[in-house]
Amino acid sequence: MPGGDFHPWFFVIVAAWVLICGLGVVAFKKIMYSAVSMVLCFLGVAFAYALLDASLVAIIQILVYVGAISIVIIFAIMLTELQEGRYDQFFNRQSIFAAPLAVAAAAVLTVVVASSDISGVTDKALNPGLKVLSDLLFNRYVFPFELVSLVLVAALIGAIVLARKEEERS
Amino acid sequence: MNALQWWLTLSILLFCIGAYGVLARRNVIVVVMSLEVMLNAVNIALVAIANFRGGDPGAGTLFALFIITIAAAEVTVGLAIVIANYRNKRTVQTDQFNELKG
Repeated sequence: MPGGDFHPWFFVIVAAWVLICGLGVVAFKKIMYSAVSMVLCFLGVAFAYALLDASLVAIIQILVYVGAISIVIIFAIMLTELQEGRYDQFFNRQSIFAAPLAVAAAAVLTVVVASSDISGVTDKALNPGLKVLSDLLFNRYVFPFELVSLVLVAALIGAIVLARKEEERS
Repeated sequence: MNALQWWLTLSILLFCIGAYGVLARRNVIVVVMSLEVMLNAVNIALVAIANFRGGDPGAGTLFALFIITIAAAEVTVGLAIVIANYRNKRTVQTDQFNELKG
C-alpha cells in the first residue's frame, strides 16, 4: 500500500476493528451485545478520523456517538422487550435476498473505486486545523450551522411529544 | 490502489454491512443501529476525500460534523417512535409494524 503519510499497519488494524465490530452489530443475537459492538465500532471510526488527521471530527465522534447516541440506544433497548428464540428468528424473511444484495453492492462499488483513477492530490494531509475550521464554521457555513441547531430543537420537541405518555382525555 | 482508495473501500464495506443489517434484521432497534453504522461509513468517505483531495478546504470535515449532528437528531426521533409504538403494540419486531398500510 503506497501513500505518503499513510500508515498501512494502523490502517489495517483500524479497518479490521471497524469491520469486525460492524459485523457484530448485524450478527449478534443478543441485542445488548449488538449495542456494545456498535459502541466499539464507533470508537474504531473515531480512530479512523484521527488517522485521517481530522482530530475535531474524532473528538466530536467520541462525544456524540460513543457518549450520547449509544446511551439513547441502550435506554431504548432496556425500555423494550428482550426476545429469546432460535437464531433465524432474529432475521426476517427477506434476509436471504439481503445478503447477496449487500455482497453484490460491496463488490460493484469496490471494483469501481479500485479501477477508477481517483488519487490524492498530494500525499500530504489536507485537513485544515481547528482555527481554520472554526473560522469557516462561523463565517461561511453559519447558515447551515443555525439550520442544524433548528433541526436539533425540532427533534428534541418531536421526541418528547412522541414518547410522552398519552394523557387521559376526559 | 492508493491510500484514498483503501479508505473508500473500508467505507464501502462498512456501508454494505450496515445495509445488510437494515434489510435483514427483525428488531427495529438493531435496524436503527445499522443505520448509524451506515452513516458512519459515509462520514469516513467524506473525511477521507477531504483529507486526500483537498479541493474546498474544511468543507468535507464540516459536513461530516453536520451529518453527525443530524444523525443524533434522527436517532432521537426514531427511538421515540419505537418507544411510542412499543407502548401501543408491545413489540419491536418490524414484521409486526403493519398498521401503516400504504
